[in-house]
Amino acid sequence: MIHTLIMNAIEAVQLTKIYEKQHLGKISRTTGVREVSFAVAQGEIFGLLGLNGSGKTTTIKLLLALLRPTAGEVRILGAKLPDTGILKKIGYLPEVSCFYRYLTAGEILSFYGRLSEIDRVGERVEAILEMVGLAAWKDKRLADFSKGMLQRIGLAQSLLHDPDILIYDEPVSGLDPLAVQEMRNLLLKLKADGKTIFLSSHLISEVERICDRVAILAKGSLVRIIEQKEWSSKDGELERVFIGDVAGSSEMGRIRV
Amino acid sequence: MKKIFSIAYYTFVESIRNRIFYILVLFGVVVVGASLLLAALGGQQSQRILLDVGLGAMEFFALLTVVFAAVTLVLEEMESKTIYLVLTRPVSRSVYLTGRFVGLLFAVYCGLALMSVAHLALLLLNGWIFVPRYLVAVALSAGKITVIGSLAVFCSLFSSSAVSSVSFTVFLWVLGHFSEEIRFLGGKAHGFVPRAFAWAVYYLVPNLQYFNLRDFWGVPGIIGGWIVAVVAYGVLYSAFFLALSLWLFKRKEF
Repeated sequence: MIHTLIMNAIEAVQLTKIYEKQHLGKISRTTGVREVSFAVAQGEIFGLLGLNGSGKTTTIKLLLALLRPTAGEVRILGAKLPDTGILKKIGYLPEVSCFYRYLTAGEILSFYGRLSEIDRVGERVEAILEMVGLAAWKDKRLADFSKGMLQRIGLAQSLLHDPDILIYDEPVSGLDPLAVQEMRNLLLKLKADGKTIFLSSHLISEVERICDRVAILAKGSLVRIIEQKEWSSKDGELERVFIGDVAGSSEMGRIRV
Repeated sequence: MKKIFSIAYYTFVESIRNRIFYILVLFGVVVVGASLLLAALGGQQSQRILLDVGLGAMEFFALLTVVFAAVTLVLEEMESKTIYLVLTRPVSRSVYLTGRFVGLLFAVYCGLALMSVAHLALLLLNGWIFVPRYLVAVALSAGKITVIGSLAVFCSLFSSSAVSSVSFTVFLWVLGHFSEEIRFLGGKAHGFVPRAFAWAVYYLVPNLQYFNLRDFWGVPGIIGGWIVAVVAYGVLYSAFFLALSLWLFKRKEF
């Protein structure tokens, strides 16, 4: 019998990030995440759920080497970060996409395409703009784009280089219901195409519809990882588990009714 | 190299489309034109006044542009998070910063070229006879701009605040024009602190007077070896501050 080891797409091992701030000789420390470990298999949709300030964005930034871990390590397709080359395999969509305002949609995508070492950049840019429904806006400056259009450009740049892994930070945040449905369908299609998707969210209704597994973060610590079969058979189960895990972890007091 | 070129190209395009950039250049052209008024008061020296004031105004506006643009080069991108979508691609930080700096410089050089075309037109209309030394003077201004630009990038990465970066860069720009005077005064001073300060300014702050060809305009034989030495001086200082900036940038977290 031959056992084939299938590499995980993403591995986080005892990931810890402590932010240090110096002011007038005093050092203050804030824990972003503490000893977070998880593995994302290739081809799955993995969700990261947590309240605001729970460490979701810190985790994502550590996966992308935008932050250096205080302890622990991250591996992307077996390569230990930091490794600039492996970033070719990742498509990132931040919660709010910001671009160079004075470039056109075509120019910004061409720019990103060249940085990602794509062949035939021009053709690829045309195809991706067509895919996100912005072909007619190719020569318009991004300063003239609406919020929804900028989000589509954000999506376009994350898929431009056909990455194996997609890391999306709150992908449905601020989207209207139609756009949410489109995003959901897109993510499921990408999964069917063999992509690995890592997404963070605090919208349980969307996460439970598309994720294979979900990790729950509270106050920077990983509370649990739950599989789809554990919540799919019971209505509202994921929400119940999530609320139970994060109750009391918010920095703010609850709204009294 | 390809990535440096791509980053430089798109930085250049972004810069020249920025309203603030072409307003500064336009303003520079206007001030160059306004130097006609000063020249009119100069009598027989009107052409020399037009030449000096024009070169000075062009340099001043080009320096303003490069200081503000270089300081915001990284700081604004970090605040607006534009930098995320670049650094999450297979691009090293040194390639990114070098490309952005080169693109910005070329945009400023274009602004300087535009202002010098206007200045040259004004000079020729006033009966001035063109000498190739004029182009050398403009090129040396570009050299000064390069040094100050690299200094501004370093200051912005060191301090992480746009206001303090601009202030510190302008302060160093002023100091750089009085290097010799400060060294002279330091030599005459009593006490370790003033002498040490003078020594530090003279050897650490770039001597920007070297780039002012207009101060040596009438001196024959100033071209040639002197120009080569000044260019080498500018390249070394710019490379030094850019290297320091790259080192700081690699340590940054976002």
